[in-house]
Amino acid sequence: MQIYLPIAEISVNIFLILGMGGAVGFLSGMFGVGGGFLMTPLLIFTGIPPAVAVATEANQIVASSVSGALAQWRRGNVDVKMGTILLGGGVVGAVIGVQIVKILRQIGQVDLIISLSYVTFLGIIGSLMLVESLNAIRKSRGAEGGAPTRRPGQHNWIHGLPFKQRFKRSKLYISAIPPLIIGVLVGFLAAIMGVGGGFVMVPAMIYLLRVPTNVVVGTSLFQIVFVTALTTILHATQNQTVDAVLALLLMTGGVIGAQFGVRVGQKLKGEELRALLALLVLLVCIRLGYNLIATPDDLFSIGRAIGGH
Amino acid sequence: MDRGCDNHANRAGALGALALTFAAAVALLLAGMSAPHAAPVATGLDRGPESIEIDVSTRSIPIEADFSGTRIVIFGAIHNSRQDAAESGYYDIAVVIWGPNETLVARQKSRVAFIWVNTRSLSVHDVPAYYAFISTRPIDEIADKALLARYRIGFDNVPMRIEEGGGGFSAEELAAFRQAVIRQKAKAGLYREADYGLSFSGPSLFRATLDVPANVPVGEFKVQAFLFHQGTLLSSTTRKLVIEKRGAERLVYALAYDHPFVYGVIAVLAAVLAGLIASAIFKKD
Repeated sequence: MQIYLPIAEISVNIFLILGMGGAVGFLSGMFGVGGGFLMTPLLIFTGIPPAVAVATEANQIVASSVSGALAQWRRGNVDVKMGTILLGGGVVGAVIGVQIVKILRQIGQVDLIISLSYVTFLGIIGSLMLVESLNAIRKSRGAEGGAPTRRPGQHNWIHGLPFKQRFKRSKLYISAIPPLIIGVLVGFLAAIMGVGGGFVMVPAMIYLLRVPTNVVVGTSLFQIVFVTALTTILHATQNQTVDAVLALLLMTGGVIGAQFGVRVGQKLKGEELRALLALLVLLVCIRLGYNLIATPDDLFSIGRAIGGH
Repeated sequence: MDRGCDNHANRAGALGALALTFAAAVALLLAGMSAPHAAPVATGLDRGPESIEIDVSTRSIPIEADFSGTRIVIFGAIHNSRQDAAESGYYDIAVVIWGPNETLVARQKSRVAFIWVNTRSLSVHDVPAYYAFISTRPIDEIADKALLARYRIGFDNVPMRIEEGGGGFSAEELAAFRQAVIRQKAKAGLYREADYGLSFSGPSLFRATLDVPANVPVGEFKVQAFLFHQGTLLSSTTRKLVIEKRGAERLVYALAYDHPFVYGVIAVLAAVLAGLIASAIFKKD
C-alpha cells in the first residue's frame, strides 16, 4: 500500500517504512542505542531527500527517547545541573546546525555534507565498536583476566579548567566548559545528522567527565529529548523539512520494535551482537560512501530554488 | 503509449465511464445544434471552417490516504469535422497541459578528489512545474519545428527563462542544462509525452487520458488543444484548469508552509504523546 509523504513529496510503501522503523527500533531496544544513525541513512536509501530524512528523524527521536527519559527521571538518575549545561550547549549547537543546513540547501550542497558526515561518523563508530566487541569476545573466550586498569579518581586535564561547578548527583566538582562543549557538539550533530547524539555524549561523559554510569544514561536522555524537540521545531520553521506523516509511521514501527528489542536484548549475550551491530554500521557506511564515489546515473539534478532571488 | 504511466488506475474506470457519458452528451448536443442550421444534405464541402473544443474530467484532485496519483480524461470535439470516421486520420490533434510556473535550480556534478560534488548551477525561471503533451501521432510527423516552437508544443519547446547572460555558460552548456531539467522532470513523472495518447472516438469526438502523479503542484494550469491537417494549424483553443488538492496530506503540507512554527510544535507534541502512549501500553502486559 502506497502512501504519499506531503513534505518529502514522494509516494512510499507504508509497510516498508513501518518495517524499517520496527527493525531499527528493535536494534536500538536491544543495544540501548538511539536508532538515528541507522534510520537516517536507510531513509536516504529509500529516496527520501536527505534534509527531510534528518529533520524527520530528529522528530522521531523525541518519541523514542521521551519514555526512557521519564523513567530515568522517576528513578532519580538525571543530574539536572549537568543536564541543563549539556542542554544549554545543545541549544547553541542546534541553532547553528539548522542555520548551516539552511545555507547548504541554498547552495545545493546539503545532500553531500549529510552523506559525508555519516560516512565519517559511521566509519569511526563502527570501527571502534568492532574492535571493542572483538576484544571482549577474545577476553571472554580466553578468560585471561586482567581487568582494565582505569582509576576513577585519576585527575586529567579537565580538572585544570576554570568555572568549576559542583554536580551533586554525579558526585563531581569539575569545570562547566567540557559539558557545555559536549552539548554544543551533540546539538550540532542532531541538527545536521538527525541523531540523538548518545553515541558521542555517553562515552564522553563516562571517559572524559567520569560521570557515574547510573547517571549517564538518564542525563543524556534528558538532554536528547529537549535538543531533538528544539531541532524539530527549528527545522520546521527554517527549512520546512519535517515530514509529520513519515515521522508518525517511523514512530509507530519504532516503539513496537524497541519493546521487543529490549526483551530479546536482555536474554542474549552482548559481545557477538555488538560485533554484528558494528558490521551493520560499517556496511551502511560503505554503502553511503559508494554512493559518493560511484559515477551517478545523471550528473544533473534539479531542485526548487530556495531563498536567494 | 503513455511514457511514465503508473499503475494507479483504480478510479480511472469510473472516471472514464463518466467522461464518455459526458462526451456522448456533448456529441448529441452538438448534433442537435448543428442539425437545424446545416443543410439537410450536407456534404463535407459546404461546411464552415473547423474549430476545436475541449474539456477535462477533473478539476479538483482529492488526495486520499493511499493516493499515488490519479487519471483525468481530456475530451473534446471538432466542429464541422470533415472526416467520415474515427479511423480516417484526416486530422492531427495535439493537447498540451502546463502550469504553474516555478523557479528551479539545475545543478551539475563533477568529480572533486574522489567524490561527486555539485560544482555548477543555473537558475531557470518560469518553468512549468508540470507539462504534459498528448497527440494523435509523434510530434515531428504532425507539423514543422517552427510551428511547434511558436505554440510551445512538445518537450523541445517547454517554456523556460534563463537568467540574463546565461550565467556565463556557453550555448551548448545551456542546452545541456535545459535538457537536464526536462529529463529530471520526466523522471519525477511531472513531464509526460504520449505520442499516440489521443484518439478519435467518432468523426468529431476525441479523448485522451492523462496520469497525474501525487506530487503534482497545485495552481492554475493551461489546457491547449491544437487541430492540424497536413501540417497546417486549423484551429486552437485554450482552457484554464485549476488543480486543488484535498485531504489530510494537503492539510499537513499547508500547515508546514503557512504556519511552520505551529507545525513544528504539533510535530513535537505528537512525538511526545506517541512515546508516552507506547510506554503505557507496553508497561501493562
